[in-house]
Amino acid sequence: MNSQPTSTSFRLVLFVLLNLGLIYHAAPWPMVQAVLNTFLVLALAPEFRSLLIGGFWAALAGWVLEGTLRAYPHLGGTALGNLTTTLIAGWALIQWPPSERKAFLGRLAALALLHTVLVHGAVRIACGPHAWGWGWLVALATVPLWGRLAFKLHRPLHRR
Amino acid sequence: MRERAWGWNPSGRRRWGILALWLLHVLWVVMGRGPATRWQNLLGVLSRPSQALSGHLESWKHQRAQRIGNHQAAAIEIQNLRQRVEYLQKTAIADAQKNSEAEEAIRLLGLKRALPLETQGARIIANLRNAPFGGMVLDQGADLRLVQDQGVICPEGVVGRVWSVTFQQASVLPLDSFNASTGVMLARSRATGVLQGVGPGKAEIRYIGRQEVVQVGEPVFTSGLDRVFPRGLLVGYVSAVKPRDLELNLEVTIAAPLDRVHLVLLLPPKPPIQVQPPSTPPAQLPVRGGK
Repeated sequence: MNSQPTSTSFRLVLFVLLNLGLIYHAAPWPMVQAVLNTFLVLALAPEFRSLLIGGFWAALAGWVLEGTLRAYPHLGGTALGNLTTTLIAGWALIQWPPSERKAFLGRLAALALLHTVLVHGAVRIACGPHAWGWGWLVALATVPLWGRLAFKLHRPLHRR
Repeated sequence: MRERAWGWNPSGRRRWGILALWLLHVLWVVMGRGPATRWQNLLGVLSRPSQALSGHLESWKHQRAQRIGNHQAAAIEIQNLRQRVEYLQKTAIADAQKNSEAEEAIRLLGLKRALPLETQGARIIANLRNAPFGGMVLDQGADLRLVQDQGVICPEGVVGRVWSVTFQQASVLPLDSFNASTGVMLARSRATGVLQGVGPGKAEIRYIGRQEVVQVGEPVFTSGLDRVFPRGLLVGYVSAVKPRDLELNLEVTIAAPLDRVHLVLLLPPKPPIQVQPPSTPPAQLPVRGGK
């Protein structure tokens, strides 16, 4: 992923901005927000050449999501979960570049679960006990859907 | 040569940036709900000086705005009051003559009620006393049945007598004229004499014997013997006593303000020597400006 051309990075930034806008406007539908947020964290953000930039976008997505929810007394939990998950996903991409789609989808499912746990843990630390909702389950169930897109993004260039 | 992973190179700086970003988020989350209260309390304590300063500043600004507002209101009020005072001063100046004449008329009316005689009011339209053989000119004459030698008085005392009469005007010979003679008597000794004018506001009494005891300041009244004035009207006050060979030379300051009098009462021709004062006091007249 460190060998992406500039045009790809630019296109990636556009994708991320589009996703952020969708997260913002999907506030009335938290399940859709959860899917979009997970997609950005696991599929788009780790694809950046710099994990710092990717982590920044992931954290920003968390802030946007919590800001639109307007339910938490203290924001920042989702941003921390997003950032941590993106760093782990990026590290995993570096260590084990995707080759098989099924294995990659399985990794994404595991990372989605980890993302759920991390986000809820961070939110619990920040705000205290709260309802989990069903967004995480929808995000997990739709892994095959958005995971294919992520696989196309994360595959080595010669295999795309 | 391989770069150090956490050194000050592009890769190391990215790592430090990621770590800083992550630690900031962790710190923010950990400082969340519970500790945030203490954190906010701490921030509140730390911000007290600035809040106090801000409070003082706001209070000062409010007070200053109030002072400015009060000052502006006071300035407007002062301006209005100045205009009002100017208007009142102009009005007072314009009405001064009328007011003075009205007060004089009120006092003259009191005198008219106090005198048991048929008197007649008149206005002095010209005062030529300073001219040689000058006198005063009244606005009434033969058309209102004025005749010569009618007594002319004002609330302060005797003014003079009617000297000549024309159809619509009459001239008055004041007491201080050189050719004016009036029968008078001294208040204490009741000695009678003749008052002759010697100059503005001054007159002399003739024919008072040296044996009379006269004090300076003693009032001088009309004697009624000249049949122009009834007895007892105030003429003036003795201002100097000078014994001569056969008589006393008494200087008299005339009580009536001959220079300032505008309204006078005309006594009837040849009034009785002695008039009786009214049995009941005159009705109380309203006084200007009084309650």
